[in-house]
This record gives sequence, structure tokens and C-alpha cells, in this order.
Amino acid sequence: MSIFKRPAKARRAALLPIAVGTLTVGAAFLAFAPTASYAQSNNPSSLSNYGYTGSYIYGSSGQGNGNNGPITNVNLNPSTIPFGRSLFVENCASCHGNNAEGSSRAPNLQGLGAATIDFWVSTGRMPLADPTVQAVRKPARFSRSETLAIDAYVSSLASGGPAIPNVNLQMANEASGSELFATNCAACHTITGAGDALAAGVYAPSLLSATPTQIAEAIRSGPGNMPRFGSNTLTDQQVADIAKYVTYLQKPVDQGGIALGHVGPVTEGFVGILIGLGLLMLAGLWIGGKAK
Amino acid sequence: MIVTQATDWFDERLGIAKFTRKSLNKIFPDHWSFMLGEIAMYSFVVLLFTGVFLTLFFVPSSKDVIYNGAYAPLRGTKVSEAFASTLNISFSVRAGLVMRQMHHWAANVFIAAIVVHVCRIFFTGAFRKPREINWIVGTGLLVLAIVNGFLGYSLPDDLISGTGIRIAFSIVLSVPVVGSYLAFLLFGGNFPGDSIIPRFYSLHILIIPALIVGLLTAHLAIMWHQKHTQFKGKGKTDRNVVGVAMWPAYAFQAGGFFFVTAAVIAILGGLVQINPIWLYGQYVPYRVSYAVQPDWYMGWLDGALRLMPSWEIQAFGHMIPNVFFPAVLLPGITFTLLGAWPFIEKKITKDNLEHNLLDNPRDVPWRTSLGVGILAFYVVLFFASSTDVLANSFSLSLNFVLWAFRILLFVVPPIAAYIAYKLAAEASDVPGIGRRKRALIISRSEEGAFSTSESAPRSATHEETVEELPEEVKYHNVLEGTEEYVMPSAVSSVATVINNVSVDVDLGPLPSGGSGVYQIPRSPRGSAPNGRIDEQEGHGDIDE
Repeated sequence: MSIFKRPAKARRAALLPIAVGTLTVGAAFLAFAPTASYAQSNNPSSLSNYGYTGSYIYGSSGQGNGNNGPITNVNLNPSTIPFGRSLFVENCASCHGNNAEGSSRAPNLQGLGAATIDFWVSTGRMPLADPTVQAVRKPARFSRSETLAIDAYVSSLASGGPAIPNVNLQMANEASGSELFATNCAACHTITGAGDALAAGVYAPSLLSATPTQIAEAIRSGPGNMPRFGSNTLTDQQVADIAKYVTYLQKPVDQGGIALGHVGPVTEGFVGILIGLGLLMLAGLWIGGKAK
Repeated sequence: MIVTQATDWFDERLGIAKFTRKSLNKIFPDHWSFMLGEIAMYSFVVLLFTGVFLTLFFVPSSKDVIYNGAYAPLRGTKVSEAFASTLNISFSVRAGLVMRQMHHWAANVFIAAIVVHVCRIFFTGAFRKPREINWIVGTGLLVLAIVNGFLGYSLPDDLISGTGIRIAFSIVLSVPVVGSYLAFLLFGGNFPGDSIIPRFYSLHILIIPALIVGLLTAHLAIMWHQKHTQFKGKGKTDRNVVGVAMWPAYAFQAGGFFFVTAAVIAILGGLVQINPIWLYGQYVPYRVSYAVQPDWYMGWLDGALRLMPSWEIQAFGHMIPNVFFPAVLLPGITFTLLGAWPFIEKKITKDNLEHNLLDNPRDVPWRTSLGVGILAFYVVLFFASSTDVLANSFSLSLNFVLWAFRILLFVVPPIAAYIAYKLAAEASDVPGIGRRKRALIISRSEEGAFSTSESAPRSATHEETVEELPEEVKYHNVLEGTEEYVMPSAVSSVATVINNVSVDVDLGPLPSGGSGVYQIPRSPRGSAPNGRIDEQEGHGDIDE
């Protein structure tokens, strides 16, 4: 049957399976290509290695008392207190007062602990950009040593509050972390850690750029609307487990391909309708033609 | 020839020649919008194939096991067998993940295609007499597809789908009087219990697919029997069907389109991650992930639940649960009105004539604007199911977004309907709309002056001619004795004996080849348009 001598419509119809056959083979190849990485995924070490290289190091002043537990407290250097005070007076005192005693505009920081101060300053939330909305994470204004000096100054004003935790992720258990995260954190931060809007301008921030220390600090100090989880609620081991799992969530196994932002069926629906059905409708237009 | 012997053997016993001839010469009108239903059908075929693959590895059980598979971050945790087997499909079964993802993408595309197909039928008036039955069958298919999508989405027993089942349980509970009995009956006791997964599995892989296959068969058989609708155009009337023949042109088009559908689904399944349950973890009733959404086709119900104010409505001395209104009443009204629409329209238009020519949406502005308005209502509900994602993505207050949607739900549909009415009414008045425009030729004179003129009309040789299928003409001429019967080449012929006249019916592909555009008369059913009884009986009645 000489299909090429037939009218244009029939020729188009007959060429279609050829074009599409090529497309299908290509698609099938792409689809099955990830099997190469299945072998890797069967290897536990490749799945549990997420690119971090050991515990978070603070420079010379930051190291705690050895690798005794999953979380060790960072010893702040008292000699940095005067430097910390000058930074505090320059950048923070206009709202919090020279001695962090608070004002009508900002809370008293005395006795909140070094972890609280370190969390707010190291995540860039302090100094505050806009006092009328929830503090947003932004690039930190201070270097690590400057931040630690401010921490040292404020925590020297009164005792109490959590110390800065240094998390040893190698002693943490990710599977336990995943269960603890699902039970305690996902209700606001969502199960993938992507964060979400909660109510009236309040939102649970994304955890995708939090360091293990910041995660532990947030758990122990309860910033903003987040509840504080004390050591009677979550042990140091459990905090480290959660920090490890959140660190994993920052670069999870996306075996299935393009991750679509880890926000679940919303983006999947848009892709399914706009790209999936959209492509097929274009193909239908090509095959079916327009009205004569 | 062995082919001839085999076909003769079957024809002498089953009389397949007549049906085969009619089928191969069946005429399919050409239009891109007629392909929408095919997208749905081919996606369903992909669903069946990938689904069968998944059943080989999925374990429908709520029994607790300690996960010890390939995915390290959950190793050692307590999960259900359903969840563990889905993880194994994703990480340990060769090509398991791509099959799972293709299955899920195919479901999303399947229901999306049904929805646009319904829109096409609605806006072109294809549901009018004699096609009301098929409209109802189609509505049933849409409901079954949505229900089965939800059931399949629930099977992996992950945190997000478990939340969905929890909501479904509450929705069933909210039905007045019988709610608690119904919920316990469906779920085999209180939530969560351990019967949900096995029961959903039987429904998802056996009962509902069987119903879908049955209704789909009826849908196609009725369409086959009634012949296709077609748009108005050259040579097209209420009494004929103009288009390409099943063999060879349409068979290649449709076969190719199946592969296109499978290819797009395979591309999505291979490259775009869907439902990464390993990140969601096992469903445990005390765990919840903030503000999860269902798959898109349940979005409008989820949006309705979110927008419903927390009113406590009393009736007969009892409180009707709030959830009842958005989650039971709304879909109930939706699908009842949808199914009943052909009859509602008949009440409005008093039009009891048979319609085989489609309306152009712009020619029936009232129906078009009503459809656009109703569609806008559901689109607003659909977007309302992602209030939290929208609020978070655009740094808005969740409360503001929620209230904005409550207002938009009642503001957008009338505006959309008004705009649609105006556009349709004005477009239908534009002279020559819908016809191919002639090119404007700009010419420059020797003095440098420009002038424009319309190009000549397209010559008739470019028009595809519409004629009766040659095989059909020959067949009838031979039956009526006006044409000498000539034995064709034996390869593609099937002999049959009708009315003591030995007729050899050319099956069509060779040698005359029906690959142009042909017309075929419709078999009349009941009264013809304009109340006229057509004197010409259809081809199906030659045995009488």
C-alpha cells in the first residue's frame, strides 16, 4: 500500500506512528534510565550520606567539650564580651536597650540563653527588617565570631536559658528523627519541611536552609509562635535525630525525578493538567485538525 | 489463501463479514476536540497496564511490619505492609517506580481528559437528542473515575493519603441519620481500623474498574450505534456523517494517538516525581502534616470544605454537621444536575428534534455563558484548595486568602458568564466568522503608491471532495442489481450470501482504498429532523 501517494491527511496519519514510535522509545529509555541509580539506592551508605562532612564547626572558640554526646554545648569565650557589648549597643540596643532589658518595642532578652540569641541573629532574623510582620530569614548581618560575641554578651547579663548546641550528626539516628519529625514538627512545617502559611500572616518557615545548630536552637528555645521543647519533652539524642532528619530533607532522595517543590499534589495537579493534558491536546490538534 | 479460509470459516458461523465491513468503513468526522475523549480512553488503557504491574508487588494489608528495605531514612521504623510494599515498588522492584509514577500521572491525565471532554460535549450541545443516555453514562464514568482515583491515592497508606481517608470518614459520618451506620459499614468499624486498605484495594482494582470497563463499553457502543456528531460545514447535514474512514486513515490516527498518550505519560512518569511517599512516611492517626491537598480532581471538594464557614445549622432539633453541606450536598447536587442537564435543557428550549450537527458555542450564547459561569464556580473552588500554598508562595495572610476566595466564589462566576455571553453573542454576529480568511495582497504601483486587494478564493482543487464511500456505493449497487458484481482480488475479500445473492464484499483497505474524506448516510432512529420520516432505511436492515 503506497501511503505516500494518498491525500495529505492519510499521509499525516500514517507518518504519525513512525514519529511517535521514536518518541515512545525515547521516553521509555528516559523512564527506565534511572534504574542505574537503583543499584546505588540499594546501598545504604549512599542513601545515608547527604554531603555534610561531620559536625558543624564554629572555629576556635566554638568547640565544646569533646564528642561525648550527640549534642554538646558551645563554650563562649568571656574575653569576647566587651566586643559583643559594643556590637549589641550599635545594632540592637535601640529597641532592646543597652543591657537587653527590653522596651515597649522589644522584649527583655536577659536570661533567654545563648541559644535563643544565636538563633535569631545567625538566621538573619535580627536585626529586624519590618517590626509589623513575622521576622523573615535573611542573610546574617554578623560574621560567626561577631554573632558568638553578641551571644556571649547577652548571656553574661543573666543566667538561665539553653546554651548553644553543637550537634554531632554522626551520633544521630535518622529513622528515629523521621518519626519524631512527623509527630512533632510536620503539623506546622509540613512533612517535607517546605513550610507553610498558618493563620493571619503567621507562617511556619521553610527548614530547607537551617543548619543543625539552628534546628536544635529552635527546638530548645521556641522562637516566635513555635513551642519550646525542653529536655523533658525531647532528649538531646532526639533533638540530634530530628536535626539529622531535617538535614536529610534539605537534599532528600528524589528518585522519581523533578521534585516540584515538595509541596505535594498542588504542583502535581498543575503539571498533570497543563503539561500532561496540554501536550496531548496539542497532539490532538495536530492529528484531528481544525473545523473546515 | 489461509486468510480467506479463516475469515470464511468465521463468517459462515458468526456472520462477521457484514459487521467487519461496516466497521472498517465507519466514518469518523475530523476535529481536534473529538480527540479529547480518546485521550481519556487511552490513559485508561495505560492505567490498566501499569495497574496490573503494580498489583504484582503491592500488599494490601494494614499489618504492622518493621521496614528493613532499601530506603535508609525509614529503616527500622514500624510501617504497614501496604506502605512497606509501596516503598519496595519504588526502590527495589525494577522499573517499579516508573510504573507507579506512570500510573499516578495517567490517573491525573485520565480525569483531566474526561473533564475537558465533558466540557466539549456540553458547549457544543452534543448531549441533545438522541444522545441523552450517553451523557448519563458519561457522568457515571466521571464519578467512578474520581472515586477510583481517590481510592488508589489512598492505598499506599502514607501520611498524606491517610489524612484524606480521615476526612472521608468524617464526611460519611456527617450524613444525617444514617451517617454513623454508613461510616462503620464502609470502614468496618471505627477509624482507622485495619479493613480500610484491603477494602479499598478490592474496590480500586476490581469492582470499580469493572464498572468503568462496562460503562465505557456501553459508552462506545452507543456512540458507535448512533454515529458521530459533526460540526456544521460543507456537505454536512443532520442526515449524514462526513469524515475519514476507519480503515486505513482513522486507524492510523487513533493508533498513533494512543502511542502519543502513552509517550506523554511515560515522559512524566520517568522524569517528574509524583507522590514521593517515602518523604511522607507511614500514616499514624496522631500525626498530621500541615495543610495537605488531595489530588487535583478532589480539589474542588477540598476547596469547598475550606471555604465553608463554621455555621452550626439546626434542623428537626438536631445539628446537621457542617461538613455535610460542602462535602455531601455539593457533590450530590453537582452530579445530579450534571446528569440531568439534557432534560433540563429540553424543558428550557422545548426542542425535541434529533440533532447530529453540533452547535458552535458562540451560536448558543445562553448555554455557553451558563457553562462558563458554572465552570468558573468550580475553578474557584479548585484554587481554594490551595489557600495555604498560595498564601505561603505569595507571602499573604492565610485568612486574607480564605476570605478573598469566599468572595471570589460568588463574584467570579457571574462576571465570567457575562463576559462569555457578550463575547459569544457578538462573535456570532460577525459576518464570515469561522471561515478561512482570504489573504490581503499589498501591491506597490510604479509611482510608489500602495494598495491592498483580497486574494482570489481558494480554488476548488484544494478542497477535499466529499463523496460516498466507493465500497458502500458498490455494495448497494450490487444489492440493487444496478451494477455487475466483479470478483475482486481474493486477499482482502470476505464472501457472504445475502438474499440469495452472492456478494463479495471488499473490506476496504485494498484496492480502492478509502483514505479520503467521505460521507455516509445515518440510519434513522424514530422521527427525523423536522418531523420527517426518512424513507431510506439504514444499511443495518438489509436482512429483513
